[in-house]
Amino acid sequence: MARLLLSSGFAAVINLKKTHSIDMIKSSRLFGSLLASLAILATPLKSKAAEDTIKVGVLHDLSGTMAISETSLRDILLFAFDEINKKGGVLGKKIEPVIVDPGSDWPTFATLAKRLLEQDKVAVVFGCWTSVSRKSCLPVFEKDNGMLFYPVQYEGEELSKNIFYTAEAVNQQATPAVDYLLEQGKKKFYLVGTDYVYPQTTNLVLLEYLRSKGIPLENIGGGLRKDDSGKVISAGKYTPFGHTDYQQIVADIKQFAASGDACVINTINGDSNVPFFKEIANSGLSAADCPVVSLSLSEDELRSLPTKNLVGELGCWSYFMSLDTAANKKFKANWAEWLKNDAPAEVKKEKRVTCSPMVLSYDGVYLWKAAVEKAKSFDVDKVREVLESGDITFDGPGGKTTVQKNHHVTKNVYVGETKANGQFKILKEFKQVYGEPFLKGTFMKGQ
Amino acid sequence: MLKKILLCLLLAIAPGFVRAATDAEARSLLAQAIGAASDDDQIKLTAQLPAAPTLKKGLIAWREGGVYLYDSGAAKIAYILDDATDADGKSKAFRIDTGELLKDPAGKPVLFVSSDLNAVDTSARLRRVIQTALDMLALADPDPQARRSAVMKLGMSQKKAYLALLEARRPLEKDVDVRNALDEAAALINLNDPATQAAAIRQLGDLHSIGSYKLLSTIAENPGSPNVKGARAALKQIDTYISWSNFYGTLFRGLSLGSILLIVALGLAITFGLMGVINMAHGEFIAVGAYATYVVQNVFGAGLALSPFGFSINLPGLNLSGARYDSYFLVSLPVAFLCAALVGLLLERAVIQFLYRRPLESLLATWGVSLVLQQSFRLVFGAANVQVNSPGWLSGNMTFHDVIFGYNRLFVIGFAVVIVIGTWLVLTKTPLGLLIRAVMQKRDMAACIGVRTERVNMMTFALGSGLAGLAGAFLSQIDNTGPSMGQHYIVDCFMTVVVGGVGNIVGAICSALGIGMIDETLQPFIGPVMGKITVLAMIILFLQWRPAGLFVTKSRSLEG
Repeated sequence: MARLLLSSGFAAVINLKKTHSIDMIKSSRLFGSLLASLAILATPLKSKAAEDTIKVGVLHDLSGTMAISETSLRDILLFAFDEINKKGGVLGKKIEPVIVDPGSDWPTFATLAKRLLEQDKVAVVFGCWTSVSRKSCLPVFEKDNGMLFYPVQYEGEELSKNIFYTAEAVNQQATPAVDYLLEQGKKKFYLVGTDYVYPQTTNLVLLEYLRSKGIPLENIGGGLRKDDSGKVISAGKYTPFGHTDYQQIVADIKQFAASGDACVINTINGDSNVPFFKEIANSGLSAADCPVVSLSLSEDELRSLPTKNLVGELGCWSYFMSLDTAANKKFKANWAEWLKNDAPAEVKKEKRVTCSPMVLSYDGVYLWKAAVEKAKSFDVDKVREVLESGDITFDGPGGKTTVQKNHHVTKNVYVGETKANGQFKILKEFKQVYGEPFLKGTFMKGQ
Repeated sequence: MLKKILLCLLLAIAPGFVRAATDAEARSLLAQAIGAASDDDQIKLTAQLPAAPTLKKGLIAWREGGVYLYDSGAAKIAYILDDATDADGKSKAFRIDTGELLKDPAGKPVLFVSSDLNAVDTSARLRRVIQTALDMLALADPDPQARRSAVMKLGMSQKKAYLALLEARRPLEKDVDVRNALDEAAALINLNDPATQAAAIRQLGDLHSIGSYKLLSTIAENPGSPNVKGARAALKQIDTYISWSNFYGTLFRGLSLGSILLIVALGLAITFGLMGVINMAHGEFIAVGAYATYVVQNVFGAGLALSPFGFSINLPGLNLSGARYDSYFLVSLPVAFLCAALVGLLLERAVIQFLYRRPLESLLATWGVSLVLQQSFRLVFGAANVQVNSPGWLSGNMTFHDVIFGYNRLFVIGFAVVIVIGTWLVLTKTPLGLLIRAVMQKRDMAACIGVRTERVNMMTFALGSGLAGLAGAFLSQIDNTGPSMGQHYIVDCFMTVVVGGVGNIVGAICSALGIGMIDETLQPFIGPVMGKITVLAMIILFLQWRPAGLFVTKSRSLEG
């Protein structure tokens, strides 16, 4: 533990110094990646003439445990900025990204957000992945009246006037997935996840939702924990981060699924999915009998998973790379083109995919641009007012997205089935689902 | 009758030919069903389809909206699209009625873009009938597991109509598991009929049918039912069965977790236990072994392109497949051992040899090395985890009385036994082992009588590191292979060695199995999170009581 603290503290110190603007990264293209950071430290901060650019913050982990996921978001943001700049920028100003790296250290998010807002005076920030990082920098955005676009599916139960959630709310991912499974005749639901805020909260909401759909408590697997008054405080089976031994849980699921009408809702995060799915595959639980719908696995994560073991398992997102629409085809082609020709050196070029968090990041940039252009100002209050009006829409790669008054986004939701090549085959589409952050206690009202 | 005899004869003479004839018949029937004018006709025709496996693809496509109609002028021909698309996004089409390539009147194959087409509509009612037809097909599936799940599905539906079908299948079935499933399914259906309910309940109890638990408990809780007593007895039977099966299951899972702990800690039991080097880079040696497996796998497959430190290395692939490809894992074991041993050797020569009398410095230095190694993995193989696919013979399981024995789990238990015996033989029966023990007991004394202690140190450290590499090769089969994989195991390694008693391999074995067993036993009751915490708390208390671990190594030296 001490070791972890020490190393993360170390990372924080380095990262504070590593704040740099994108043109400098380009200037260091010649150096190896090791030399790059030294070069950046050595070069004094220079900025283009302030009049024709507008600074925009990018707050994603580029090192540490979350880097694997979040680096892709930085890449797609750079792509979106380049795309906009090529067409003349926003209100005639070129976007100048200010990229900072919190190094997967949650308190550093707050420090760097403060720096972006107070020192760099950015107009808007695109960032955060984990809920804990968002919660860490939320007070800073509220105090300094900043604006943050948050792109990754989350548990809801939050609404800040300074954050716009392009992310999937629980009713745009978890409950549509359940609807699909109910439609398939599934009657028993096993909940399993990593032990932290997103799975715990989502599963509690799901528990209420399933109950409202007439699923009895004994048909919800993984166990319930109640407090002294008998209120359920935790539903499902939880494992620590980085857990590798899923033998008991899979044996439990196998017994649970013996009646043939069960499914699993998986909110396990990150690496632990590998031992989980390997165990599932080896235990002979087939996707046809007991499908696993994973809420944290998109195409980007599937790149480092043994997809052979995941064929037929389900996913639910508001975008899939395999979406067969003209908008998506154009988006993918432009992205590939950008990777080939225009991407800076530190962006990985090989085996790239697109996934929902990336597309929601991308949508966020365009929604912000639309709002700024309508407000004719970069002022946070004015832009927010326009965004809240409900008129701001963008036809993104995943379909039409509209910002709602409650800072969430109406969008399409898709259920897909994993294929051996790490892509999804789309099974069902829910059109234009309204994002609703506060779901706890709402499902049982009518009953 | 004559027709039947003839058919049998034909079957005996030319099975392939007859199969083709009936297949063609079945195909044209399916095409007729798809082409039928009304929904009702479609349903009627679909319900009469023969159970020919060749229909599976067409039926699935039909249900999922992947069947299209082609207007050739004379007639409408039903077809499905090939999964593969060419450069323009077009794919080939296959006729449902013949299974052959769809051609236009001029005889040229027709290509389609799937998004331009409108699929044949199906109603919800029709889709259910199609599903039933698919279930019937699955009853004759060559894979017993698929057969079993199809049987259970029919049973759980509790529809009387399936009873005859299941009973017809019963004498043909050769697989014991599927036969039991057939009985279970028949009993499940009979459960609905008041006349046969009592017998069905008894049978389900005797078959220990976990799947019917819910149905039986509804009967047991219904005071009006005449079979309350029988259902309760059957439930009790099943309960007892589940608890025994869980007991043996937990035993097995504990053994397998213990074996994993043992193989990861065995190397450390030598480098830390015997040599006294606090080797924080032990986890990274495990990762070296896992990456070695990854490289071997790719060399057996399509090859691998790496670009470490700006160089680009292209490893050519052997492009093997099937059993030969699957044998990559056997080759990767010695490769992993040698790679990790080599890295260990380098580390020992470069760093550790100067630190034998300064354990705390060795801790810091090896920690530094572990960071360097992790970063090197990132530079060479990328920050993301790499995919290692298990060979066929390591995937799957055998299920015995509902206890799952995964092949990889059985393998790891055997593997642990083999490397423990191997290590024991090396240490006790070889000249190298004798020297190792001599040097480890008293380095100066051994040097006085002419043992080249430097070399022995080197070899011992390499041996310990190599064992870590072996562990890594196995872990790549059940866990992630990535730059930080070593970090997950280093704590477990030290824990196992310290609890077992530093310097004692028997101790490491006992503690690994003990920790594994306790962990798996606690998990079902208090969950994996609390389970882990409890295990760690127990270890702390245990070390308070016995600071030197399970087995104390007796030593004459004062330095301990």
